Amino acid sequence: MIIDQKKIDETIKIIKANGGHGIQKCVQCGACSAICPGVKAGFPLLCRALIKDLLNGQLEENIENSSSWGCQACNRCTEVCPQGVRPQEVVFAFRRYQANELAFSTSSVTSQMNLYETGHAVFTDPKEARRKVGLPEETPTSAFNEAAQQEIRTLMDNSPMGELGLF
Amino acid sequence: MAKVGVYVCHCGSNIAGVIDVSAVRDFAESLPDVVIARKDLFMCSDSGQEMVKQDVRDGLVDRVVVAACTPRTHEPIFRAAIEKAGLNKYLFEMANIRDQASWVHGNDHEGATEKAKLAVASAVGKARYLHPLHDKFVDVTNAALVIGAGIGGISAALELANMGHKTYLVEKEPSIGGIMAQLDKTFPTNDCSACILTPMMVQAFNHPNIETLAYSEVADVDGYIGNFNVKVRQKQTYVDWKKCTGCGDCADKCPSKTPDLFNGGLSDRRAAYIMFPQAVPKKAVVDIEHCINCAGRTIGTQPKINEKTGKAILAPCERACRAGAIDRSLPLDPGGTIKEIKVGSIVVATGYQVMDKGWFKEMAPASPNVITALQLERLISATGPTGGKLLRPSDNEKPHTMTFVSCVGSRDVNFHTHCSRFCCMYMIKQARLLKEKYPDLVINMHFIDVRSAGKGYDEYYTGAREMGINFFKGKVGGLEMLPGDQLRVLAYDMEAGQSIEYNSDLVILATAVELPPDATSLAQKLGLQFCGNDFFRELHPKLGPVETAVAGLFIAGCCQGPKDIPDTVSQAKGAAAAAAVPLAQGRVKIEATISEIDSQKCSGCGICEPLCPYHAISMRDYTDRARGVIERHAVIEMSSCKGCGVCTSACPSAAIKLHGYEDEQIYAQIAALTA
Repeated sequence: MIIDQKKIDETIKIIKANGGHGIQKCVQCGACSAICPGVKAGFPLLCRALIKDLLNGQLEENIENSSSWGCQACNRCTEVCPQGVRPQEVVFAFRRYQANELAFSTSSVTSQMNLYETGHAVFTDPKEARRKVGLPEETPTSAFNEAAQQEIRTLMDNSPMGELGLF
Repeated sequence: MAKVGVYVCHCGSNIAGVIDVSAVRDFAESLPDVVIARKDLFMCSDSGQEMVKQDVRDGLVDRVVVAACTPRTHEPIFRAAIEKAGLNKYLFEMANIRDQASWVHGNDHEGATEKAKLAVASAVGKARYLHPLHDKFVDVTNAALVIGAGIGGISAALELANMGHKTYLVEKEPSIGGIMAQLDKTFPTNDCSACILTPMMVQAFNHPNIETLAYSEVADVDGYIGNFNVKVRQKQTYVDWKKCTGCGDCADKCPSKTPDLFNGGLSDRRAAYIMFPQAVPKKAVVDIEHCINCAGRTIGTQPKINEKTGKAILAPCERACRAGAIDRSLPLDPGGTIKEIKVGSIVVATGYQVMDKGWFKEMAPASPNVITALQLERLISATGPTGGKLLRPSDNEKPHTMTFVSCVGSRDVNFHTHCSRFCCMYMIKQARLLKEKYPDLVINMHFIDVRSAGKGYDEYYTGAREMGINFFKGKVGGLEMLPGDQLRVLAYDMEAGQSIEYNSDLVILATAVELPPDATSLAQKLGLQFCGNDFFRELHPKLGPVETAVAGLFIAGCCQGPKDIPDTVSQAKGAAAAAAVPLAQGRVKIEATISEIDSQKCSGCGICEPLCPYHAISMRDYTDRARGVIERHAVIEMSSCKGCGVCTSACPSAAIKLHGYEDEQIYAQIAALTA
């Protein structure tokens, strides 16, 4: 790895502009990775490891890395971080950078499409399960509400996400 | 008939968890002359001590044996207790059944119990033959010596002087101030080192109770706590300091150049020089080793006479001095003048040096752009060779990328195993100062790990990250010299798990803190011991951090171990407080358990004299008037004797008695152990 200050400065600027304001506070203690469900699941470039690469200016090099999409947004990292880095915000800032560059992981494209179509990023048909436990088959959410779905589509079409041209 | 009382301690479970205390007590009761045997959960508690005192007061016992822990920590407590109850405190013996039985034989309860019984029998055997001894006192010279006038020595001297004690402050360099005078700013507050140090230097130098002996070294020390005789060698300055005004004209005119060690060798100074602008005392010296004897004016010779003018031809330094302080006709005196002083206590604060980069072949020491952190201090100091501008030594160009390498020679079995402790912080300080001054400067710092323990230190470190200074975990493996005076840094980022490489214009090595070579000879003169090969040894790593094995001799600052300025000042003030104790008391107590020579038996063979580790024995001649002959006897200076017993066991005439360890007492112990 070549250490290039211009790349470091550019990376930190982009991450901060996308919401990862605390990235430079990181002392690489590893507490975030210790509790991260994504790290446990085996995503190699999450939390501490991702922050380290970004601090080394490795932004473009990691653009295709799908680990960031393994973040479940549980935010435990923010709770345990002793330096106030708010690691999840750094991970999300990196995701935003990836999204802006249209570097989605396939798993995330599916979620976006689900969201666009049903209002849920993760959606499985609940009818049978609900019937078994005696609940109404349809959930009182956007999944079964055409008007709500239309509202969500309108919002997404008019948000920066719409500009990505996924839908 | 002695009336021995034996008191066996459970020490909670420390002893009783392994040893059958009741069995030991029962056994003790059966020993000859034992009139009482008791046991207690904690003998050192108030109630335990009270039990002993009551038996003494009741007249039941007149010898006390406590079977418990170590006499090192607890003997003084029990001695004080029986003394309070009216018994001579030396009629006491301790059996260490904790360290020597329960702790070391934790898995053998029966064996440990038997061993404890033997230890008690031995102590009782000795106790039967104990007799009263009395402490002695000697008067004290109310003056102190502080060796080394860096921030540690200055702090200690001021503390002693403010307590009202006459204090001699000896410094080998022409100015006091030490390494702190070389520093630019200090962490974690970034206050200017000279701004906070100079007032201390002036205060010490002008203090009515402090006599500063600059450009001087301790040549010889003898004596003992309360009464040390010290010979101080005042090196010849070749400049009359009474006349010198510190104007520096001699240095301006002197043509001979030599590397300026105050600037880490990054610039030259003249042979006639003033150490640095804020020097205290601000006096010039002529460095005779580098003096080239202009105009044939070898020191100690008369000047040639100009035939035309009839005037003496003088050297430039002589001509330049308007105060008439330089006279090269005065005799050469390389030995200097010896000043003899008497002091009651001594504080050693001789400081440290940093290792030279030459030791580290992998770190491209041949490159002028690889420098030590102390050299960087001079490079960024306003009084340094570049006037405070960061310019790399090879071409005086401003560097674009610089590198800090930690643990060079520290934490390294090839050089020093210790952590030099303040390098992490001063490197971060230097990086912060430079980043503030030159925001475009790329600064890469490589650490095994960042050690920033101290008030406000970790905040200082994490703040450096936010300033855009790059931190890498992993020691730099090597440097390669590149064309254009650059260096290729071969490093590793452990956190990213990748090797990293880049070109650097200036590389700073945080080389290890170590004792300077002359520390060894000073230690020999003073009787100081070393910790391994590293630093001066304190009496106890936790409870005696400023004391040494030599009574009346104290240590402070980096000569005891690497430490930063606040820790050095704290320890120096602690050492000064400890050194003031004998001076304030006016007399020192001499323990009664020391050796004494029976001059009637002494043959004057002198075997004991070189064996004494404390230089307490000397040979003296006596005139025996009755027989009209001169006799030679060994004499023990009681205030130096530590009661180690080496002389006693070596004396072929059995002329030396070690009080408290007399023959019949030791034979009784052996008899008890072998019964």
